[in-house]
Amino acid sequence: MSFQYHEPVSLAEAVDLGARFGADGRFLAGGTDLIIQMRRGKVAPRHVLSLHRMPDLDAIEVNGSVRLGALVTHRAIERCESFQGRLRGLVEGAEVVGGHQIRNVGTVGGNIVNASPAADVVPVLLALDAAVTCVGAGGERTMALEEFLVDPGRTARRPGELLTAVRFAVPEGPAATAFLKAGRRRAMEISVVCVAARLTLDATGERCVDARIALGAVAPTTWRAREAERLLEGRALTPETLREAGRAAAAGCRPIGDVRASARYRRLLVETLVPRALARCVERIREGAR
Amino acid sequence: MSKVAVELCINGERHEVLTEPHRTLLEVLRVDLGLTGTKENCLEAECGVCTVLLDGRAVNSCIVLAVQCRGREVLTIEGVARDGVLHPIQQAFIDHGAVQCGYCIPGMILSAKAFLEECPGAAEADVREVLAGNLCRCTGYQKIADAVVAAGRAVAAGG
Amino acid sequence: MATRELHVVGKSLPRFDAPGKVTGTAVYAADFALPGMLVGKVYRSTQAHARIVRLDVGRARALPGVRAVISAADVPEVRYGGGLKDETVFAAGKVRYVGQPVAAVAATTSEAAEAALAAIEAVYEPLPAVLDLEAALAPGAPLVHEEWQSYTAIPILHRDGNVCNRARIVVGDIERGFEEAHRIFEHRFRTSMVHQGYTEPRAAVAQWDSSGTVTVWSNTQLPFEVQNTLAEILQTPPSKIRVVVPGIGGGFGGKLRVGVEHFAAFLARKTGRAVKVITTSEEELTAAYPRQGTVVELKTGVTNDGRIVAKEGRIWFDTGAFAGSGPGVASVATLVLAGPYKIPNLRLEGFAVYTNKTNCGSFRAPSGPQANFAVESQMDIIADALGLDPLELRLRNIVREGDEGPTGQVLNAVGLEECLRKAAAAIGWSDRRPGKWRGKGLACGWWTTTGGSSGVYVKINPDGTVALNTGAAEIGTAALTGAAQVLAEELTVDLADISVVSADTFSTPFDFGAQGSRTAFAVGNACRAAVADLKPRIFLLAAAQLGVEAEACALADKHVVADGKRISLADLARLSQQTGGGLIAQGTFIAPPTAYDAKRVEGHVYPAFHSPSFHAHAVDLSVDAETGEVTLHKYVVAQDVGFAMNPTYIEGQIEGGVAQGLGQALSEEIVYEGGRVVNANLTDYKMPTTLDMPRVDTILVQHPSLVGPYGAKGVGEPPNIEPPAAVANGVASATGLRVTVLPITAERIALGLRDAG
Repeated sequence: MSFQYHEPVSLAEAVDLGARFGADGRFLAGGTDLIIQMRRGKVAPRHVLSLHRMPDLDAIEVNGSVRLGALVTHRAIERCESFQGRLRGLVEGAEVVGGHQIRNVGTVGGNIVNASPAADVVPVLLALDAAVTCVGAGGERTMALEEFLVDPGRTARRPGELLTAVRFAVPEGPAATAFLKAGRRRAMEISVVCVAARLTLDATGERCVDARIALGAVAPTTWRAREAERLLEGRALTPETLREAGRAAAAGCRPIGDVRASARYRRLLVETLVPRALARCVERIREGAR
Repeated sequence: MSKVAVELCINGERHEVLTEPHRTLLEVLRVDLGLTGTKENCLEAECGVCTVLLDGRAVNSCIVLAVQCRGREVLTIEGVARDGVLHPIQQAFIDHGAVQCGYCIPGMILSAKAFLEECPGAAEADVREVLAGNLCRCTGYQKIADAVVAAGRAVAAGG
Repeated sequence: MATRELHVVGKSLPRFDAPGKVTGTAVYAADFALPGMLVGKVYRSTQAHARIVRLDVGRARALPGVRAVISAADVPEVRYGGGLKDETVFAAGKVRYVGQPVAAVAATTSEAAEAALAAIEAVYEPLPAVLDLEAALAPGAPLVHEEWQSYTAIPILHRDGNVCNRARIVVGDIERGFEEAHRIFEHRFRTSMVHQGYTEPRAAVAQWDSSGTVTVWSNTQLPFEVQNTLAEILQTPPSKIRVVVPGIGGGFGGKLRVGVEHFAAFLARKTGRAVKVITTSEEELTAAYPRQGTVVELKTGVTNDGRIVAKEGRIWFDTGAFAGSGPGVASVATLVLAGPYKIPNLRLEGFAVYTNKTNCGSFRAPSGPQANFAVESQMDIIADALGLDPLELRLRNIVREGDEGPTGQVLNAVGLEECLRKAAAAIGWSDRRPGKWRGKGLACGWWTTTGGSSGVYVKINPDGTVALNTGAAEIGTAALTGAAQVLAEELTVDLADISVVSADTFSTPFDFGAQGSRTAFAVGNACRAAVADLKPRIFLLAAAQLGVEAEACALADKHVVADGKRISLADLARLSQQTGGGLIAQGTFIAPPTAYDAKRVEGHVYPAFHSPSFHAHAVDLSVDAETGEVTLHKYVVAQDVGFAMNPTYIEGQIEGGVAQGLGQALSEEIVYEGGRVVNANLTDYKMPTTLDMPRVDTILVQHPSLVGPYGAKGVGEPPNIEPPAAVANGVASATGLRVTVLPITAERIALGLRDAG
């Protein structure tokens, strides 16, 4: 693990260094993925660009929409007052990432770029129709998070590009988010399956206007269960409808079997956790989440 | 592989270290500075024995580069007691029988210290949540949780 | 045991090594360093079973910073081991498991050592491998050790091909027993390989001096055994080998035998420099001494009113490529299979079987959790079938005071009934199924206090403090604090007056080692012997000083008192140093052998449990019917500890042991695929965190041992034994699903419930 080390102190400098080194360089945020991968020999960049002195990349801005700077830590998300209402799912995702040492340094940008199919916060962002912004030599570009995630460990980020922010609109009206995670133990866990749900109900609170269901660890990337979502739109949300959505999501996902779980169990978890996450959203809306 | 000069502030003291950029804070603490109170084990941020405070926040020093610590404050277990007086957390660990082999204890104490500074009167459930990133194989965590809760009460009372 | 007021022993006093541990000043072997030290690393096999066609170390040797590369060609041709000498330092000719050491390097930096490993070239010709018990036991199976017959082994072992021991207990007439039974139950169980999970890796630093003596600083639990093994391996007299234990960050049996000490010693000799070798997490999970996975078959015959009349059992231990602790563990297992029950007809066998996987060793109560899981699960199955309360079934069959154990030993200090009743009461046993998908489980067992001898030196200092010099290593249990409490009690001083020096083969007396729950027991008794040795001389000296008869003297409050006069131990020590060499003493202890009926055992290395302990665990849990996730509401342990030398640290042992037991029960397993470990990291080897552990309620039951200090029995291992069975029984109670495989993961429960409809 040997490299040249750089500490850009401005966006311009970071972009410049990124452009200069291209695929030979990697941006270092919290290091919770990159340093470990480097130690295991999975990646060996010749240049490491540490971002910890970059100003402004760790801001959380909330005004109708939310902008998370790429260096916002999971800890900051956990503690953000603004996320307690309709965005509670975001907090639920952030607070189960690793242990608190990891959450203190691990960033949302790093998490997205690492593109683990089992990531915890990413499903919530996907359920919020988030978009990511990257800055490179060619300028700034923004794309849907769903497009950005390509494969396990691979994103649409070009060599040298820096992911600077992720944005999403705050859901309006009677809406809520929820996040559930399954694993073999209750902490320090890479999700066996995780589920993020976002629901918007109509004014009566009975019918679903809009649904998003995003799943982790059941496909090569975090995955939207579109058929399950479509199934819910316009329908009254009875326990049976929610179970139908769960079955549709389970049928549509493509989990693998690995040392953590079999594919069969992952589908079972999807079938179980999707209705539970949706039910929790319904409960939250009815309780009058802001 | 060339070395770079890194000035570190460890437990309030300045150290000038010459090291390759890839070396972690953990390696520099233990090998270069002889501060072996911070422990090594998995080297992958899974076990927490390497926990130190960086600018007051608990981090796994095995995945922090030493060079990233320039101009920042590092607190290790060696800096927790002041002038030979044990911190209430250290005393609580002794009093509650929370120490067995002791290898996880420095990391536990640092995690607990950062947390109690924010939430002195924390309840057991919250304490367990914070310590979830520190594995212990000897104690089953019970007396450690008891010690931290008790220390929290002492800190809240103005200890 | 005369009742008298105790001042030190029996009290929950803080352990003497706590201050160093909470301040980070305590030094562990992993911390130990010497100036100019080289970094040693091990090159390991990537094949499960293969002939070594070629091993090329030339390129590695030539790399900058590399000071030595050694392999089989550079070390004496020696086979070592415990009762069976089948191990070599490096693979020679062939490799027998992925991870087996093939070579070792020493270099100036970690990076240079890694580069050296990468530059070594090994060419293998794969051989057919046996990757599990079934394959290893199949007729005509490839032999892991073709030359097994040529190996030196203790004659008592029954070896045959891939079976490196078969131990057997036979009592009564098993066929007649089954004929008498009204109901017969047959079940099969399977348990996984699990790792001790100590947070400090195995580490050793070795350095040779100009007299040809090597000092090895290591975190071994058995410095004297390591000394002997190194002597064999290095072909150097033991007197030229000094093993020192600076401190151990957890052992649990995984640090008993040579792990890296020999590599450090060879590399240090080759380079003329100090060398440190420390294992990685990956090495720990692929090439250490984990607990054997097992298959257990149990056939039990009972009468309709729930008396066990016959039990036939077989347990196979997948002990890996080298015997390790297998032969002994297979023996101990038969006693666990019998259980703490009165059974007139028994035929119990334990087999240690070679496979092409990592050689397994000893892990806290070796064979305990695996065999107990089978026995105690089946007890509940039987109770259910007979319509009996599982507690009642046990009470009808457990041993009581004066009963015989399975090998004929007479059992005394039997606290089992009290443990069962108290554990059951504490868990609220009368309401076994408090809600839907919620249930309570019970399990009980017995265990040994391992024998072996211990010696101590004791010295009283002129300031009245006392030095205790023991060959035992403190592995974290606070056993040495317990022993020091015994010493303080006997000398009428405070615990704070005792300072302890330990675990240096050069300067401390022999100790059989920190294993088998024996340390506080044996070292405590050795301390009592030392005080008994010292007291006559103290009294003689005091008598002369005070002008009294020696017979009138007694110890009280750091003084000798007689006829209303007194003189302090400090003054006596000072006087003695001036005129007689000082107040020093030695004490040795070995437990008297436990009588048993030798006709009942075969191939048996461990035919009786000494000063046995008895224990009962109870759990209250819920199961998520859809995901299978288990939530533990309450966990209770009632353990007969004989005498609680230090209640706080005994509770600590129980709480920690339950945690490890619950890990084995619910989440831990080393997973092999095609002879390779696929979860060799702490991300995927799932040990319990703070959020996974319930609080454990401990009930200390005390039926004093006739042998232990103040009646104490060994306490460290037992808590590891019953959790898997308690959990299995709780899950069965909550769901009706009987899981016979460990770990009982949420997946197994969820899919099991689905498949059962």
